[in-house]
Amino acid sequence: MSTTVTRTSASPTRVPWTPPRIRQAIGKAVTYLFVSALGVLFLVPLFWLVSSSLKEGNHIFDQPVEWFPASPQWKNYPDAWNALPFTRFLLNTLFVTLVPLLAEVFASAIVAYGFARFAFPGRNILFMVMISTMFLPDAVKLIPTFLIWKQFDLIDHYDPLVLGSLFGGTPLFIFLMRQFFSSVPKEIEEAALIDGANVFQTFTRVMIPLIRPALLSVSIIGFQGHWNDFLSPLIYLNSQAKYTMTVGMFFFTGGTNERPHWEWLMAMSTVMIVPILILFIFFQRYFIEGLTSGGVKG
Amino acid sequence: MVGDPIADYLPTFIRFLLLAAVVVGASTGLHYVLRNIFHLRREIAIGYSLITPWILGFLIFSLGPIIATFVLSFTDYNLQQTPKFIDIKNYDTLINKDVNFWPAIKLTILYSIISVPISVFVSLMLALILSKKLRFIGVYRVLYYLPSIVPAVAVVLLWRWIFNPDVGLLNIALSPIFSLLGQTPPDWFGDESWVLPAFIIMSLWTALGNNTVILLGSRKGVAADLYEAASIDGATTFDKFRKITLPMMTPAIFFLVVVEFASAMQLFTPAAFARATPAAGRFMNLLIYTYGFQQSRMGYATALAVILFLLILAATIVLFRSQTRWVYYEGQEK
Repeated sequence: MSTTVTRTSASPTRVPWTPPRIRQAIGKAVTYLFVSALGVLFLVPLFWLVSSSLKEGNHIFDQPVEWFPASPQWKNYPDAWNALPFTRFLLNTLFVTLVPLLAEVFASAIVAYGFARFAFPGRNILFMVMISTMFLPDAVKLIPTFLIWKQFDLIDHYDPLVLGSLFGGTPLFIFLMRQFFSSVPKEIEEAALIDGANVFQTFTRVMIPLIRPALLSVSIIGFQGHWNDFLSPLIYLNSQAKYTMTVGMFFFTGGTNERPHWEWLMAMSTVMIVPILILFIFFQRYFIEGLTSGGVKG
Repeated sequence: MVGDPIADYLPTFIRFLLLAAVVVGASTGLHYVLRNIFHLRREIAIGYSLITPWILGFLIFSLGPIIATFVLSFTDYNLQQTPKFIDIKNYDTLINKDVNFWPAIKLTILYSIISVPISVFVSLMLALILSKKLRFIGVYRVLYYLPSIVPAVAVVLLWRWIFNPDVGLLNIALSPIFSLLGQTPPDWFGDESWVLPAFIIMSLWTALGNNTVILLGSRKGVAADLYEAASIDGATTFDKFRKITLPMMTPAIFFLVVVEFASAMQLFTPAAFARATPAAGRFMNLLIYTYGFQQSRMGYATALAVILFLLILAATIVLFRSQTRWVYYEGQEK
């Protein structure tokens, strides 16, 4: 054993097992054990969610917990999907997710560009005001905002969930994109302007491609927010056909004369998690970039 | 297909396009006015016209509603009749007569001041562990982040099962400990004194991943040459942590504490669907929803919203004031 090891002289395994090194190895083993145990702890509820979605309704709470259902009830998925008009709910959810997302990303990029690159009087104060609205509780705006939409007779329409996005979405998006615009060297824009491009062309052809990572971060955070939103559709939508998936799903918790369909609820929850999970796995970097840039320069 | 989706989407979509045209029009119009009437420099005019969408959004959806909330809180308004001015009666009723008020305040504040420090502290520890050169770090990051991407509705229902006194996972896992102590496992959401711990545990599971990712990013942002310089000066590992790592991470920690506190005070979806025993009190945001949207007492609900707003504002001010004592910003002498 020692001969093969000693031959590769650069290998760290050659270091003798001194007490500090043993201590380090034990420390590392404990660390791995700890993070893995915690990882499992985090995973167990989700695993139960998926496994319950494949059980018969009256066997979900059986003890001991059957982690891998002996006869997986795949029919729970189509059953749940058809028990309520989920195809329609999915279309509704996509409508109130994608339309505002598009507007939000574009509008917040424009506003962020203005804050990042143009010196106008009051810029810093306005920017501070914008940041501080990030800490403003929604509760204080909830009722008057509802009354605005009611005034226009747009309750039970999608407008309250969609139109607000044209004003730039959440302050976090503007903040995040401004950070990215600020990191782009000014010479690039100046070169474009010298070549005869106007502001609009510089913005769309030069700046937008350069901040693509920020656009992706914002899109992903925005998608997740709209996709999972529960309070707004609950407040603004009344007719069942117009519900989004989160609101529709909630009907499976049972009503006055119906038992709760946990297995259906779990099946639809799993369906809702899948797109976000795929997004997260493929665009992990952008998820994290979006989250961290808020924290680094709060 | 249930209903007529096109008939539901199209009017909204047309109004969406019209409003988009209005916003663009306002923006270019402002540019024209600033350039040709006020003769401002090109850069200034462009700057203002670019941020026009946000200014409009701020006036319509932030400033306006805030002022309206304050005004409505002095009225009696049930959505049917016009609001009637009733002075401070809403506040008086809330504070002196409403049996739901003080329990709500107590539950909301206790939940926020307990759950936020625990969550941020545990996330910090986790971020420090994960920042060591571990293999499969990506896998751990995904594992910890997973709970954050589950829709809140599903999270609550999941935890309702976990906290179930008889068949829930937590009590099955804890029953050996409790039987050793000769006690029965708690009824969590069903028992007044266990509601708060239950909500805190649930919030940890959901928020930990998110917070850890933010702190991990901040930890990675600490420049390596600072540590080299410290090593040359003979600093120990603990010194480095106390004098370099921790101070450099304080802006991220501060950001997290402020954001998490404000969102903890406004807990809604979990509060609405946990079906916790009402004896423990209801979260303030849920009470606002109940009064406003279920009982149509808009004036009364806005008074409660104002109180919630003032509480969060006070906490935020205190936190920002404390900044100079413990938050370190690079390039700032202190």
